[in-house]
Amino acid sequence: MTEKTRFMLALIAPAAVAILLFQIVPILTGANASFRDWTLYDPKRTWVGTANYVHVLRDPEFLGIVLPNTFGFMAASVACALVLGLAIALMLNRRFPGRWLVQTLVLLPLMVAPVIAAIMIRWMFNDQFGVVNAALEGLGFAPITWLTQRWTAFLVILLTDVWLWTPWFALILLAGLQSLPPEPFEAAQIDAAGAWRTFRYITLPMLRPVMVVCVVIRAIDAFRTFDIVWTISGGGPARATEVFSIYAYVESFQFLNLGRGSAAAVIGAIIIVVFALLLYRLLNRLVEVSR
Amino acid sequence: MPGRKTFISLCTAGVIGMILCAGAVTASAQDRELKVGYMKNPIQDASLDMMEKWAKGHGVKLTRVPMAYSVFMEKVTATLTSQTDQFDVIWHNDDWGQLWKKWLETTDDVKGMENADQWPLLAFWNDEKKLTVVPMAHTVGTFFYRNDLVKPEEVPKTFDELVSVSQRLQKEGKVKWGYVGGMSMNNTWFSLWWTMWSNNCDILKPLFERDNAKLAAEKFEPAVTEPCQREIVEFWWDAINTHKISPPGMTAYGRNEANAIFMSGDAAFTLVDSTHFGEFNDPKRSKIVGKVGMAPFPMGPRAQRPTSWNEIWGWAIPKGVPAERKQLAKEMLSAMMMDEAGQVEMWKKTGGPPPNVKLWPKLAADDKDFAALKHAVFDQTPITHSAYYFAEWPAVHRAYSDMAIAALSGKREDIAKVLADNVDKIHRAATGN
Amino acid sequence: MSAVTSVELKADARSEGFFSALAPGARAALFALAATAVCLLFTFPVFWLVLTSLRPASGVFYVHRGTEFTIDNFHEVLSQEIVLKALFNSFVISTAATVLSLGVTATSGYMLSRFKGPIPNTWFSLIYIFRCVPYVAWVLPLYFVTQQMHIFDTYWGLLFPHVAVHICFFSWIMKGFFDGIDPSMEYAAMIDGCSRWGAFWRVAMPTAVPGLTALAILCWLYTWNEFLFALILTSHETPILTVVMAQFVHELGMEWNLMSATAVIALVPALIVTLFGQRYVIRGLRI
Repeated sequence: MTEKTRFMLALIAPAAVAILLFQIVPILTGANASFRDWTLYDPKRTWVGTANYVHVLRDPEFLGIVLPNTFGFMAASVACALVLGLAIALMLNRRFPGRWLVQTLVLLPLMVAPVIAAIMIRWMFNDQFGVVNAALEGLGFAPITWLTQRWTAFLVILLTDVWLWTPWFALILLAGLQSLPPEPFEAAQIDAAGAWRTFRYITLPMLRPVMVVCVVIRAIDAFRTFDIVWTISGGGPARATEVFSIYAYVESFQFLNLGRGSAAAVIGAIIIVVFALLLYRLLNRLVEVSR
Repeated sequence: MPGRKTFISLCTAGVIGMILCAGAVTASAQDRELKVGYMKNPIQDASLDMMEKWAKGHGVKLTRVPMAYSVFMEKVTATLTSQTDQFDVIWHNDDWGQLWKKWLETTDDVKGMENADQWPLLAFWNDEKKLTVVPMAHTVGTFFYRNDLVKPEEVPKTFDELVSVSQRLQKEGKVKWGYVGGMSMNNTWFSLWWTMWSNNCDILKPLFERDNAKLAAEKFEPAVTEPCQREIVEFWWDAINTHKISPPGMTAYGRNEANAIFMSGDAAFTLVDSTHFGEFNDPKRSKIVGKVGMAPFPMGPRAQRPTSWNEIWGWAIPKGVPAERKQLAKEMLSAMMMDEAGQVEMWKKTGGPPPNVKLWPKLAADDKDFAALKHAVFDQTPITHSAYYFAEWPAVHRAYSDMAIAALSGKREDIAKVLADNVDKIHRAATGN
Repeated sequence: MSAVTSVELKADARSEGFFSALAPGARAALFALAATAVCLLFTFPVFWLVLTSLRPASGVFYVHRGTEFTIDNFHEVLSQEIVLKALFNSFVISTAATVLSLGVTATSGYMLSRFKGPIPNTWFSLIYIFRCVPYVAWVLPLYFVTQQMHIFDTYWGLLFPHVAVHICFFSWIMKGFFDGIDPSMEYAAMIDGCSRWGAFWRVAMPTAVPGLTALAILCWLYTWNEFLFALILTSHETPILTVVMAQFVHELGMEWNLMSATAVIALVPALIVTLFGQRYVIRGLRI
């Protein structure tokens, strides 16, 4: 082994140990459970091969409701948070009086535990005592039963997720903006290019690496969202807003079927690995082409 | 070069620190100590207070280990099946009775068990016909009404009266809603199921059967296409949409929402655990203090008499606990079962009915609230237990809830079809498929 | 620097659209309006939360009804020893997790940035793939692992898993920092007799400090609010704030008044950390 190789391995050694013991081993144990008849109250652990996987993939709810919900939610959440975050980052990139205050307020959602935010928003959208309906009624509109129908429930969940994650995008994109070299912008100003053109032909391409990393990471996490969906709708009404991690959670923790829950989780992991990779390649190519 | 050396020494320090911490943790707790895993709740705390009295008098340290409800069952199940002695006593519930029966110590020999109500103990028998729980308090669904708005003779006795009285009160502007109760998944008891059992209906055939062998013999056939079932789903559809005695958002309500609306004074009737009676009368939490009465469940068209449900919360001892601690735990639980004064105090403080039924007549004579509860619930005969006790019950519960919510979210004419379409799903859930 | 010619940039005023057609005063007004709207949107739920925590238990659901205010909830919450312990523990865990995560992922990101070939590629694939597995599949096995290592319900039992989950994202971002730093300085140092470690520690790291501070803030906030691991991996010996908040939810209902008060209390350290670290965050994150 060369000295260079030893150095490389030494650099990742502590991370490798941590990830091995506390991520890889549990994941492999979980994956192992997915091939076995493993219920929490009667861990027989007999090998059943791909029976659990087949059961999950054959479940019409999984393919027909859960996966579309998850992908739809992921796409909507990432897109909205990206656009909003970018807009806020552009706004904060200028100097204006009170900028420090606006910056702090925009970061508030990052300081609240997601579960608390979800509970708060669930009460806010309650049709009887929620402030949203109170405001609607005050303005003369009819109150809406937000959580009893699929699309309004989804809207509430989406709102919560975008509220929580836009600051994350805004922060990273703002830092990205601030690290851009000033020369191209100065040149653009000399050429009297307007705001939109500067944005489209200078800012956006230079910000691409940042944006792609953010979108891919956020897409992976949005796919795995559990807390806020569970708190706000429990996957209801009647599973209409069920997303993939709720499916796995219910199997593992409510039906206590670790084998099946793990199988569902592994299937989801495979989906997201492949999807995120494709997304990464697609985004890179998209921005290339647009130039 | 300092860089690498500092790095390595930091890592070594970390590992040493970790070993030291681990050592500290395992070395402790060898003297007489009993650890109780429970969910933080006034009733459980009151029961633990009784156990604390015994512990103090016998030189035993009682350590309370509260766990969040959201993971209680999973964590304890994992602990039980790995036979560790992390807890000496755990909170137990009829939902988990059959799930945990193999991993719990038998409790027939605990003194005081002869005073327990036999009916709720069905869920806790193990395969050798031995008991695995010591009751802590009863949990019973109770029909609450606003006694400042409804005179005792006007309290609805049937579903129709529930509708008419509600509408009258709404018209008089006294309340915004008639009935409010939990309906979303895991709150099905407080709307759909109490009316189901009050209409002589049940989820699986044969109706009201809880013996798993008999259910298996009938292949867990769902009873959701019975007319009695359709009637109650239509009742709730009407309650929300036609008669408008219940809030339109109710299909998504859990206990918190329903209680919040009832306690704010916006609703006249609700059905929820009896233990909420204390909360309804707490001036810090409720706006209807002193205005809450209890009555038997209103009956559906097919019922001859009111029904109720009567289950228990209890304590159990994991099998993996060493023998002397098991013995101590049994003595402690026995002391709790025999502590009459403590149980009466638990009732007064928390609204948890005492597990020692010999106390009930005296308590009913002294305490008018207990008398009301006894009349509303304990004097009525439960038509069956409020849950099934086989492993796939959570899946069946969920399938039923999905079906009912879907039926209630659609058109009234489609209700029968939705029920029929879901027979297969419920059946598959019950058979582990 | 993108190859954009000035020809593309010179454009008709027509294709410029809305903004440049406005007078500067109107533009400023629109900007101010947008800024205000954004602030309101982001602040409102938090404002509502603070309001809820100041209402008595009877007023926490119909928050907009009634005007009673009280600090009883805060009294009750702060008088519970477990809450104070949890505040302390959460603070320790957040800080320690941040330090450890950054230490461990700085080297990992450096390796990904400075080297090419099978080892970095394998490493990246490894950390990327395992990051994608949903927590549901492996929290219970993780619980067993910490039990078997006897670190369950201790600081270490929580710290190691936290470090493990940050590895992918932080390494990726760190790679970006180091990509932006010219390696020639490190080569120069090595030619002068510095070892590889020395070059890393004394040349590359100091330049990356602004970025590290930025990640530190994000990591601290994330760990402060983290719930799932704390829930599964701790018990009564190591109370954590988010779990203590969850204990106000029990089978029979939720003490939302106490929960919101605890959440508001939890907001304070997070706010302080954010206020303090903000400027570093913006100046620091470069990818």
